[in-house]
Amino acid sequence: MTAASQQITKSSKAKRKAKGEFEPRIVAFCCNWCSYAGADLAGTSRMQMPPNARIIRVNCTGRINVSFILDALHQGADGVLISGCHPGDCHYTSGNLKMQGRFTLLRHLVKEAGLHPDRVHLQWASAAEGDVFTQGITAMVERIKKIGPNKVKER
Amino acid sequence: MAKRIALAQLSSCWGCDQSLVDLHLGLLDVLPKLDIVFWPTVVDYKLADLEALPNRSVHIGMVEGSCRTKEDLHLLKVMREKCKTLVAWGSCSIFGGVQGLANQWDLKELLERKFIQAETVTDPRIPDENMPGFTEHITPNPQIVECDVLLPGCPPTSENTLDALTALLTNKPFDLPTKTVCDQCPMERKEKHIKKFKRNYEGNIEAGKCILDQGYLCLGFATMGLCGAQCPSVTTPCKGCFGPTPIMSDHGAKIISALGAVAEMEPEELKGSFPDPIGSFYFTDYAASYLSKMRGKERGQEH
Repeated sequence: MTAASQQITKSSKAKRKAKGEFEPRIVAFCCNWCSYAGADLAGTSRMQMPPNARIIRVNCTGRINVSFILDALHQGADGVLISGCHPGDCHYTSGNLKMQGRFTLLRHLVKEAGLHPDRVHLQWASAAEGDVFTQGITAMVERIKKIGPNKVKER
Repeated sequence: MAKRIALAQLSSCWGCDQSLVDLHLGLLDVLPKLDIVFWPTVVDYKLADLEALPNRSVHIGMVEGSCRTKEDLHLLKVMREKCKTLVAWGSCSIFGGVQGLANQWDLKELLERKFIQAETVTDPRIPDENMPGFTEHITPNPQIVECDVLLPGCPPTSENTLDALTALLTNKPFDLPTKTVCDQCPMERKEKHIKKFKRNYEGNIEAGKCILDQGYLCLGFATMGLCGAQCPSVTTPCKGCFGPTPIMSDHGAKIISALGAVAEMEPEELKGSFPDPIGSFYFTDYAASYLSKMRGKERGQEH
């Protein structure tokens, strides 16, 4: 991205903020081998996506302790996106499948606790799928915009 | 010199007192060293007696139970003022206890369910005369006032309470272990291949073998090892009543992380095995969890 284009994004974001539109803050955990590389590809290919996601690189989605996700929500993140390798493609054989099991239980737990279950989302994006990653982030931002801000933050 | 001790009960089952009294003759070793100044469970003291004492005049204060009523909250604050060392005694005190599970709902819903909609109620009304009033949200006591010593358990075993009291009387530190119930458990453990989770009433649990390996939800791996693995030793799955070890930030998160690693099941099947995840994973410590704290912040609970 050139400095000029960055400035444009900034000012349009500032405009939206001035209008009082809700800009979600999303934490995205990306696995080093697929999604992080996919995000990199999306960047170098200059694909456009909303700037709301803060990417945190982890070695594998299997490394993500469920408490990281709950802590992020507790600290005021509007949504948490977990992006990993497609099933069968995990660099460590089965880390993403373990995350899938955890994620299903976590979503169940979050729903039972009275939060919108769509605040957490799991997606697969390989290193070659910059477009899938871009679409994933865009869809996540739209979903969270519909749900509204995390109420923890308002206080 | 005998040390002055006050024991206060907030909303709870008073089982911690029961556990202390269960020391029987063992009490004879401790009692002469203690001067009881407040203990409504066994001695006729009133709140005014405690309030009349000078500040910081009591050496040891033990607080059991959580703050469900505003009177509990007052008693807790009075205890903090009067006692030099405050012990949060039992899981209710430290984590909010079973009452903490109520944080899933708002106070209004709880009161209506209990006093109006309950099937056996014949004269439905919410009591409000001569009542201290309820708190909106269960907050663990250490988040309300500073607690110097934590002693979890539902209840803490008689030995736990004796150990803590002895440590306090001899000015020794009382630290919580980072080890889990599994470290104390005598059952034989093997490589885990869990294909199906069973409810406790399904089939029979085989003695001598790890209960989790047999497909029953035993929470020993995520629970503080202070009880001597009482339940798993007699083939009863651990319910996690001692709460997470000090190095775990959230009990349920730890349990989910571990289950995801050991269960060889389809995700939907795994989800179906736990119809009530909050009740199963946060038996006594939901009020101390991230999810409950988020609800608390939404309700504007700050003490």
